[in-house]
Amino acid sequence: MLLADSRFPAGGYAHSLGLEQAVSDALGVEGVAGFIDARLRLVARADAGLSVAARRAAADGSDVPVALAELDDEHAARCPSPVLREIARRLGAQLLRTAATAWPSPLLDGYRAASTTTPRPIALGVVGAAAGLDDRAVATVALYDDAATVASAALKLLGLDPAESARWVAELAPEIDAAARAISADERPVGEQEPPAAVGLELAASTHALRTERFFAS
Amino acid sequence: MPAERALRVGVGGPVGSGKSSLIAALCRALSEDLRVGVVTNDIYTTEDAQFLRATGVLPAERIVAVQTGCCPHTAIRDDITINLEAVEQLERDVGPLDLVLVESGGDNLTAVFSPALADVQIFVIDVAGGDDIPRKGGPGIARADLLVINKTDLAPFVGSDVVRMISDATQRRADRPVLALSLTAAPHAAPVAAWIEAQLDAFAAAGGHLHSSVSGVSDHHHGHAHTH
Repeated sequence: MLLADSRFPAGGYAHSLGLEQAVSDALGVEGVAGFIDARLRLVARADAGLSVAARRAAADGSDVPVALAELDDEHAARCPSPVLREIARRLGAQLLRTAATAWPSPLLDGYRAASTTTPRPIALGVVGAAAGLDDRAVATVALYDDAATVASAALKLLGLDPAESARWVAELAPEIDAAARAISADERPVGEQEPPAAVGLELAASTHALRTERFFAS
Repeated sequence: MPAERALRVGVGGPVGSGKSSLIAALCRALSEDLRVGVVTNDIYTTEDAQFLRATGVLPAERIVAVQTGCCPHTAIRDDITINLEAVEQLERDVGPLDLVLVESGGDNLTAVFSPALADVQIFVIDVAGGDDIPRKGGPGIARADLLVINKTDLAPFVGSDVVRMISDATQRRADRPVLALSLTAAPHAAPVAAWIEAQLDAFAAAGGHLHSSVSGVSDHHHGHAHTH
């Protein structure tokens, strides 16, 4: 619960995960729930698969550094946008920094020292292992966090009743739960799992990064 | 033991009180003798970072801006990971540095820096914001390591009583220092620069440890330099 709480200090509040650019490109309040749902299906689900793979690799005990380095590369291969790779690196580094104090462990220290890219999905899996979470909990946190981050950014970008944005996330609970079960039951190596498929978000991230007037870092 | 990293000085205060101008003045005053870097926390634009780069007081690569998603107070107090990453990245990229100034986005009187981000912090208010601000108090006024009352040259035009502001502030702050400043009269902010140099000496003497008064740390038994 702590890991999924927006009060867990890992820097997520500065990100809209593409919503700010979508709003400048004319997405209105009525489109945000669809945006969150699309992210879940096209991006967050694939990222959650990486997180679960990282948790398994971290908890497995054999050749952990090598296995995690391979997953770092796997993330880079699935994330063609240099902007989004950099965002993932920063969010991962911030998560690891806080987690290293909250759940001190040689595992976290080792990954922080060894990884040069610390993509957030892999970092989340490693933190999940350090915090003693199972695959389903890691997948649930990954999916919920993605949805809640966008919903919370929507409050700042659009005139909106805060209860409304809470409803969006609440209505996704069955889908998040089902996806988390499916991801945790998936035994395929990540290379054989479906990659993210949101080219529009990748392109929009580059536009967003070049803007001089923006609230959010992504 | 020499410090392994730069002294981190937080600069906070309400919108428009002169944080960016003070930082530009400090860079002018200090950057000849010291390696200085700046992290700005802009709320909507990169205005503050651009302003500083445009003044030419520091090489552009020594100034970085972070976006805080509308939450300037969160970024300096409740979830400082964005700023910690930015400071450490800056030190890795252009370091070693002696001093990093972290400028908060303009916020209200309750916004103070976490001691885990800023070793010491300056709170900047100005006479045009109303001379009752020191009396109103709040964490920034009462506990910042240094309170700067800025734009004193404007006092006659806005009907503010600087002497009263200083005396109200001093009452709120026990022994902690208050400096009245006019950057028009003192473009190098010499009194503030001198205060920072004293903090740097204390920081170096203590091997890179300073206890900000904001942390509420009251122990005087560790042999560390204290700023209060």
